[in-house]
Amino acid sequence: MPPLDFAIRPGEIWSLAGRNGAGKSTLLKTLLGLLPRVRGRLDRRDGLTVSYVPQRGDYDLTVPSRVIDFVRGGVDRGWSFLVPGHIARRHPIVREVMQEAGVLALARQSFSELSEGQKQRVLIARAMVSRPDLIVLDEPTSAVDPMSERRVFELLDRLRQRYDLAILMASHQMHFVPEFASHVIFVDRDDGVAVAGTVRAVMRHRAFVEHYGVVLSDALGVDAAPPAEAGS
Amino acid sequence: MTSPVALIDADLTLRSFFDAWEFYRMPALTGAAAGGLLGVLGVYVVLRRLVFLSAAVSQAAGLGVALAFLLQVQLGLSASVASPTLGAAIFTIAVTFLVASDRGGGTLRRDSLLGFAYLVGAAGMLAVAKHIRQELHDISSLLFGSAVAVLPDDFHVVVWMTAVLLVVHLLGWRGFGAVSFDKAGAKVRGMPVRLLEIVLFVTLALAISVATRVIGALPTFAFSVLPAMAAVRVSPNVQVSLVVAGLVGAATGFAGYLAAYMWRLPVGTSQTLIASGVVVVVEVAWWITRLARRGSTRATA
Repeated sequence: MPPLDFAIRPGEIWSLAGRNGAGKSTLLKTLLGLLPRVRGRLDRRDGLTVSYVPQRGDYDLTVPSRVIDFVRGGVDRGWSFLVPGHIARRHPIVREVMQEAGVLALARQSFSELSEGQKQRVLIARAMVSRPDLIVLDEPTSAVDPMSERRVFELLDRLRQRYDLAILMASHQMHFVPEFASHVIFVDRDDGVAVAGTVRAVMRHRAFVEHYGVVLSDALGVDAAPPAEAGS
Repeated sequence: MTSPVALIDADLTLRSFFDAWEFYRMPALTGAAAGGLLGVLGVYVVLRRLVFLSAAVSQAAGLGVALAFLLQVQLGLSASVASPTLGAAIFTIAVTFLVASDRGGGTLRRDSLLGFAYLVGAAGMLAVAKHIRQELHDISSLLFGSAVAVLPDDFHVVVWMTAVLLVVHLLGWRGFGAVSFDKAGAKVRGMPVRLLEIVLFVTLALAISVATRVIGALPTFAFSVLPAMAAVRVSPNVQVSLVVAGLVGAATGFAGYLAAYMWRLPVGTSQTLIASGVVVVVEVAWWITRLARRGSTRATA
């Protein structure tokens, strides 16, 4: 993959786009430190806290867990799991985030029995309870219907505004990107493409138009122009 | 394994059992302690699909013991140098690290590694056994001790180990849960994932190897799987599962000994059958509840 240069700031929503197998998850996991960097540099602001929402299928639904337990599972950071009462002290935040995500009424239900859209909102609440500065999501809407998908994006946008949160999410669903994202990273390992920049800039990029056609460009009111300001 | 009744000729009643409590105290409480500890740890064993960890660890420990005897016989080393206990510990830890340190491949890879460890342990022990025929009985009693009559030293080892490991798990259960069921998320949140994995596996290996040596392989395998199976079915979350599995394990460990006394059964067999019975009862109750709930949902609709 060609080199990429970008910086994510508070209050920004970055969409990581590309077809299946394009390298989105690999890039996300490298940024998170779950995979070793091949080369390059990754700077993190001092004290930056990050939460990760893996693909929904990464969670084992045979593990017994109510929604409230599942959300509480995201509270611990570092060595806080050794501190008795840590979760009880965070209860107001747990409630607040679950309320915000619209899953407070589901608190006593089994996580495995929820719909895909509900599960996704619970996963986001779980990621939020440790009050991160940045949330990284891998395909958050891959298994949900279009209405639930919109609710997920609206929730992320609300959280961004309320907590000045930075969001980076991988997705090959591009319908909501122009509406909700401020920036896009577009990658395609096979074609050797990697561009990053504002939504408008990346969507003008020839490689992006070649992959997604002009529909999205029309949605933005932009032409399929030669590579412009996007950084690659 | 013989029944405890063979050790004392008395009326086989609850009263006679508790009349002779001083005599039966250690083995009965050893069963309860081992059952309780393995029940708690079994929740991770079952939910992480490691049910053959127990079998692999005891086989590997067997190879370690056999090799220690081989060194004594062939090289004339003393038992303090070529210690069977040390041999068992080295091989137990080696298997534990082999399984715990594998970083890729998921459940399938881990299953394969457990199978590999079991087969190497079993085949290696058979190969070594050919050269140490006279020591085979010692190996058997060292590895698969009898729950019928537990030595005071073994009783104290089991009780202390149970106490220490339960404290470790009481303190660290949120960490162990995080690395067991959301390892990537735990790593991103800065939790000491590698250390937690190692501590979890070392506690598992320690509990399994000591329990195998003191109460035998069959009840050890049973306690590390069956109470957790039942607990996971009836519990709303992992923490309740841990408590229920511990209680079921302790109860079946004790009740199994009592049943062995009253009905002249081998102790390990009796403990395993009672734990299996609990699983069957829980499964039947779960299915009945589920069918009833489905029926009431249809009726409402």
